[in-house]
Amino acid sequence: MSSVRLRGGRIVDPANGVDGVRRDLLVRDGHVVAHDPDEKADQEFDVNGCIVMAGGIDMHTHIGGGKVNLARLLLPEDHRLNANPVARPNNPLELDSCGNCTPGTLATGYRYVEMGYTSAFEPAMVPANARHAHMEMGDVPVLDHGAYVMLGNDELFLQMMARGEDPQRIRDYMGWTINAHKAMGVKVVNPGGISAFKFNQRKLDVDENHVHWQVTPRQIVHTLARALSELRVPHPLHIHGSNLGVAGNIESTLATIAALEGLPGHLTHIQFHAYGSEGPKKFSSAALQLAEAVNANPNISIDVGQIMFGQTVTASGDTMRQHANADLGHPRKWIGADIECDAGCGVVPFRYREQSYVNALQWAIGLEIFLSVNDPWRVVLTTDHPNGGPFTSYPHLIRLLMDRSFRDEQLARLHPDVAAHAALRSITRELTLTEIAIMTRAGPARLLGLKDRGHLGAGAAADITVYREQGDREAMFTTPEFVFKDGALVARAGRIVAVSAGGTHFVEPDYDRGIEKLLRKHMASHGSVNFDNVAIGHDELCSCCNGGRLLPVECFGSAP
Amino acid sequence: MSQPPATAPDRALPWTCPFCPLHCDGFAIDARAASPTLVGSDCGRAKAALGQFKRAVSPAQPQVDGVACDLERAIGIAVGYLAASRQPLFGGLGTDVAGARALYRLACDTGAICDAAQGPALMHGLRAMQDRGAFTTTLAEVRERADVIVCVGPSPAAQFPEFFRRCGVGERREDGSILPRHVVLFGDAVDEGVACDVAEAGLGGFGALPGIGTEAVALQGDLHDAVNLLAALVGGRNVRDASAALVGLARRLLEARYAVIAWQPGTLPAQGALVVEAINRIVNSLNRSTRAAALPLGGGDGAATVNQVFTWLSGLPLRSRAGPAGLEHEPLCFEADRLLQRGAVDCLLWVQSFPAGTAPPDTRLPCIVLGHPGMAPTQARDAVFIPVGTPGVGCAGHLFRSDGVVLMPVHAVLPDGLPTVAEVLGRLTGALRASRGNVE
Repeated sequence: MSSVRLRGGRIVDPANGVDGVRRDLLVRDGHVVAHDPDEKADQEFDVNGCIVMAGGIDMHTHIGGGKVNLARLLLPEDHRLNANPVARPNNPLELDSCGNCTPGTLATGYRYVEMGYTSAFEPAMVPANARHAHMEMGDVPVLDHGAYVMLGNDELFLQMMARGEDPQRIRDYMGWTINAHKAMGVKVVNPGGISAFKFNQRKLDVDENHVHWQVTPRQIVHTLARALSELRVPHPLHIHGSNLGVAGNIESTLATIAALEGLPGHLTHIQFHAYGSEGPKKFSSAALQLAEAVNANPNISIDVGQIMFGQTVTASGDTMRQHANADLGHPRKWIGADIECDAGCGVVPFRYREQSYVNALQWAIGLEIFLSVNDPWRVVLTTDHPNGGPFTSYPHLIRLLMDRSFRDEQLARLHPDVAAHAALRSITRELTLTEIAIMTRAGPARLLGLKDRGHLGAGAAADITVYREQGDREAMFTTPEFVFKDGALVARAGRIVAVSAGGTHFVEPDYDRGIEKLLRKHMASHGSVNFDNVAIGHDELCSCCNGGRLLPVECFGSAP
Repeated sequence: MSQPPATAPDRALPWTCPFCPLHCDGFAIDARAASPTLVGSDCGRAKAALGQFKRAVSPAQPQVDGVACDLERAIGIAVGYLAASRQPLFGGLGTDVAGARALYRLACDTGAICDAAQGPALMHGLRAMQDRGAFTTTLAEVRERADVIVCVGPSPAAQFPEFFRRCGVGERREDGSILPRHVVLFGDAVDEGVACDVAEAGLGGFGALPGIGTEAVALQGDLHDAVNLLAALVGGRNVRDASAALVGLARRLLEARYAVIAWQPGTLPAQGALVVEAINRIVNSLNRSTRAAALPLGGGDGAATVNQVFTWLSGLPLRSRAGPAGLEHEPLCFEADRLLQRGAVDCLLWVQSFPAGTAPPDTRLPCIVLGHPGMAPTQARDAVFIPVGTPGVGCAGHLFRSDGVVLMPVHAVLPDGLPTVAEVLGRLTGALRASRGNVE
């Protein structure tokens, strides 16, 4: 038994309705326990003057898998300082690892933990590449992790849709896919569009037919959301919508919300899908329209995918849109791939510039969304790392959201048309610490069905971050005073003090195993891997993840 | 380390072949006799490699200077070599994901430069990617939709005997039809040392099938010239004096619904990155109006696997080191042969758990070999040899397929009791740290 007491901090724990109350927090054997002032703790930390929150949870960050590693291979320049090597770590606990927008997995873990995050979720795991994704996530130290498996562009699903297969069979296929690849949820990327691009289709609107399978994104989104809901998987369908980055794509986004017909759906990196086509440049903010739709549809949650100025790389499963954007890349090189009749990927380096009208407006649109949606429980703070910018820019983003005068100063530096006319100018809202805590831990935990994470109530896993309270929120959120993972101190004042293997979150929904007969037959006649080698078992997952804990997450309504 | 079962299996065992980067998993091994045999394929490469294994506990023992010893002594001597080294080289790199993970820790601890035995081939593709990117496809996509398959250089069937079958060329679908395809061998008989002949390339049988066309197109000039001419033609530029065959090939590519250009890093000439760049340019041009993708066929014997693992751990691919100034990546200067020839390294750790993989180079440097038992060095001075299991035969593991997407699990079908590379490296790293007073 080991115990830790954090003495004198102000607790911000919105999941339990605690808003800045000053009190001690007691941890025993890796979990928060009801406070007992008489219990002598093995370790005591004086956290007077500090804010205590649950550890941060990034529920959409590209940290592991094929396209992330392709991005690293594409950008050796991201792994040096101009012409010089990146210096070796001065901490003997760290192994060498570097990179800004495409850090190695080791650096990814160290930098997240130093910043107070304790979990991260890879949003785009291609079934054919699932082992690789789990291997990479397993090599991200300390952080617990999980991934959403991609469906909706795989030829089998589209074929089943096209022949009007019984929805129950589609649901069983989805259940098998989640189980076989040890996923936390399901993501659809440009519904049908990745596959359509393989048939040389260059655009796919929500009500447009896939040129070969003759099904529409509307049908695909609805079918997937329904199946996932029936499987009782906690995380709603994770949706990267149609027409990413295209002026006027708000119409697609609203149509996608309508396609859900009230079923739960999580619209990801929504900033890239909230564009109008008004004004002289035919590119405008549709943030308010989007916010209205989110406010009016309680089944919808979003993460923002804020862009941050500077060099980054966009790594997406959306081959169709990445191919279309490749000529805008900087530096001018890119990687694309068609993958195993499952999916695709496109990796395009990008430099967001303050003096670009489009980039400046994208920046404003993201912030407008954050500040215009009423319910913070349905908004998650992300940059869609690395697509909008690296995760290390979160503290800067938090300051933009919490500090209006700072935000206005930044806005004034941008392209003059945006600085003068953006709706952002008139938004006075400043997010509170509680709202930030919701958007960075309590909300994501709830959206993922993680009952013992994202809060500090009795029974919660002791993933805890202690921030020194200060007016400069960027400084405050950059370097927490203490970070605990499952009750163990892992970072202190921005320095890693212990390195452990993170655990893997996944769900195991029930489904009819009779579907395996169809899948075996399909793999034999269309695939390239023996069916018996597809599924990842528990022991194998454990070895992929360096012996980290397996953390199965309960489905809704299933037996305890 | 996995111990062999006491009795022989009573049936053929499903198998995932670790010996070439296609990693076929549709065949089996009959291990009822002491010498296992391949069932379901006549792949010469798999058969030859399999001939190096027996269904038995391996009698191989570690050696120091050619004298058998226990593992502890071998590790002790190896630690001494590494501790005394100012610039070690880790070469070969024939291992799996677990071995690569372990190797990276040791590389960080020692500042070693790491380059695969297939480093020169690996760098052709990597340097082209670093400069301009790539557009690739995978085996299931090729099987499903490729109507034109162009093989650059010698026929892939020479190195990858199952290649055309894995592409589904000529296979009957569920409805009895055969997907029409046109297979082109685009290479030079003389320069490549392999006859550019459809029959000899393993395509002879396909020509008779309905809808399957086969063709050999000779290079115009050398390979660099020919791919650049083809890129210009596909890009719609006027090219004087282009051969009719080349013009025809460009037209065929432009008219294809989904063209695949397969290339083999291991067969490319000097400055092969330029050939890869031209192939990528052809693919990008085609993708402006139709669909196309490249398919690299290489990275076997652990090269692609270790490259992937080092890249994800550190951010940088092979031919890197954690040097005094920090993480350095030098795709030219850190070539293993060049470093050995220039005397720029003073100790060699060679890892090669695949029997057909490259043996360690002849060197007078202190040398540690973690290898298949058949790789015990003949030169016996300042040499440590530790026999290790082979992923996919003696032990389980994970290896990347040549398309870089699918990470195949390989299984211990013939457990031989030898330790894995990861196990040996784990002990080596622990002992090295202990010798320096760092306790993990």
